[in-house]
Amino acid sequence: MFCEKALELIRELQRMGDGQLPAFNEDGIRQVLEEMKALYEQNQSDVNEAKTEGKSELIPTIKFRHSCLLRNQRCSAAYLYDRLLRIRALRWEYGSVLPTTIRFHMCAEETEWFNQYKKSLATYMRSLGGEEGLDITQDMKPPKSLYIEVRCLKDHGEFEIDDGTVILLKKNSQHFLPRWKCEQLIRQGILEHVIS
Amino acid sequence: MPVPPGIGMEENYFSLDDILLSHERLPCKTECSFPRLGFLEKSSDTRDIPEGSKMEMSLWLAKGLYEKKRRVLSVELPKVYREGWRTVFGADPTVVDLHKMGPYYYGLGSQMLHFDSPENTEIAQIVLQTFIGRFRRTMDSSQNAYNEDTSALVERLDCLERSLFKAGQSGLNGFQQWEKGRSSHLTASSLVINYRKRKITDLQA
Amino acid sequence: MDAAEVEFLAEKEIVKIIPNFSLDKIYLIGGDLGPFNPGLSVEVPVWLALNLKQRHKCRIIPPEWMDTDKLEEIRDQERKLDTFTPIPSLYYMELTKLLLNHAADNIPKADEIRTLVKDIWDTRMAKLRLSADSFISQQEAHAQLDNLTLMEINTTRSFLLDSLNYMYKLRSNLQPTRTLDY
Repeated sequence: MFCEKALELIRELQRMGDGQLPAFNEDGIRQVLEEMKALYEQNQSDVNEAKTEGKSELIPTIKFRHSCLLRNQRCSAAYLYDRLLRIRALRWEYGSVLPTTIRFHMCAEETEWFNQYKKSLATYMRSLGGEEGLDITQDMKPPKSLYIEVRCLKDHGEFEIDDGTVILLKKNSQHFLPRWKCEQLIRQGILEHVIS
Repeated sequence: MPVPPGIGMEENYFSLDDILLSHERLPCKTECSFPRLGFLEKSSDTRDIPEGSKMEMSLWLAKGLYEKKRRVLSVELPKVYREGWRTVFGADPTVVDLHKMGPYYYGLGSQMLHFDSPENTEIAQIVLQTFIGRFRRTMDSSQNAYNEDTSALVERLDCLERSLFKAGQSGLNGFQQWEKGRSSHLTASSLVINYRKRKITDLQA
Repeated sequence: MDAAEVEFLAEKEIVKIIPNFSLDKIYLIGGDLGPFNPGLSVEVPVWLALNLKQRHKCRIIPPEWMDTDKLEEIRDQERKLDTFTPIPSLYYMELTKLLLNHAADNIPKADEIRTLVKDIWDTRMAKLRLSADSFISQQEAHAQLDNLTLMEINTTRSFLLDSLNYMYKLRSNLQPTRTLDY
């Protein structure tokens, strides 16, 4: 049956229901496009035949193939769109630098889109709150205090805080740091927020 | 946030749920011949799909081919929407395993209304009544499952009910986290955690 | 909305404190605070009261309704009536948690108050479920939620809205209008 491959793409995304980004299925998309090309060409030739030879009995078949074309179009568009939504969410979860494993899952156009999104967001954030700009990806929950207690879950190297002091984020070390400096590292799983 | 399903007669073009729903198979009969498509029927080796062939078609294809004025295709009602099952649902909708019978009981039932069946009114009625009749149970289970394993509760729910269950749970969990003083706790993103889990299982595999 | 955000809004509520320091009036965007004189009660927002309390700079005077007799009365009323009783503070749940967690020593019968407030909450949530069920079974088009507080609405918001939306869609099936096909 037609359009099986296109549905496979959708199932692939649905299986990762928690918003993770599976590797871009380039081969799948290519197969869908090939099927669409074949369907289109068959329809073109049948349309010509129906017109020149008056074969109106071909019309149901043409319509059949046309429905399949539309279905393939819908599945591929939905596949790409749903991936974009996931990629956009990554910017908020990971910050502007993505881990390599995730970057490898994106196709060239998606990487380009991510970079553009990053730029738009940065431009917008610079335009907010006076000269300094405002990082709207911080303080997603109302902060209770300016400083928080954190524990390092993995070695992360040197880290500069507001007053210029550099501290070493070593695995299992515990620090009392400005909340806004840690929020992203906590989201990335490098630091852990310790509540006494 | 993914694109939500349309629910009812309208589909959402980009919704993955709706795309999967519209892949559900319907028993159909062709009312005209489809030349040159015979290869789609596995059992036959004819060039055409002849008029009067019985075949299963996906909802999306049936919707695409169906015409009110010209008989191209007739679509049969899936069993769950026929009179026999309608009586069962009408008697006590809470006893049915809607996941096994669906899992898109409400979605598909609503979509069937696109095909002009004389039973359309009854189908629309029973789909609505079933939702109402089962609502209390869906709600109670979503509100009372205090951090327990919820798989047994959701097992018999249709997709639509499952999403309601999830909405109820997330509200309740949010409140309970706050009550325990955990809501100002900063945590790693669930995406990050899940990626890590996958990496570990990949390594083990 | 996150419960933490609801709590944040509750922190703007006003409470009375008795400071043990003196400070002139301070002028903030959100309004003026003070002046503060040792032993003289003054009204401040909850966020400031908690901050001062944590630094042992004040004693917090609990709001009038945070009292076992008054709360017992509300609880009984809540159990007796089918509708939601007007609550003396729209942030009763949040304020109870905040004040009892940080200033329990300033609140007489703190434990009893905690239990009473929880009883009131549970009764109201059960009522909310009951009325949700009744408006679904009676196929109401809208729900009136008088006297509910933000935290209560917030806990059940998406469930309630989704249920109503689903029911509306399934009910629209009874008057089908042919729509665009994909």
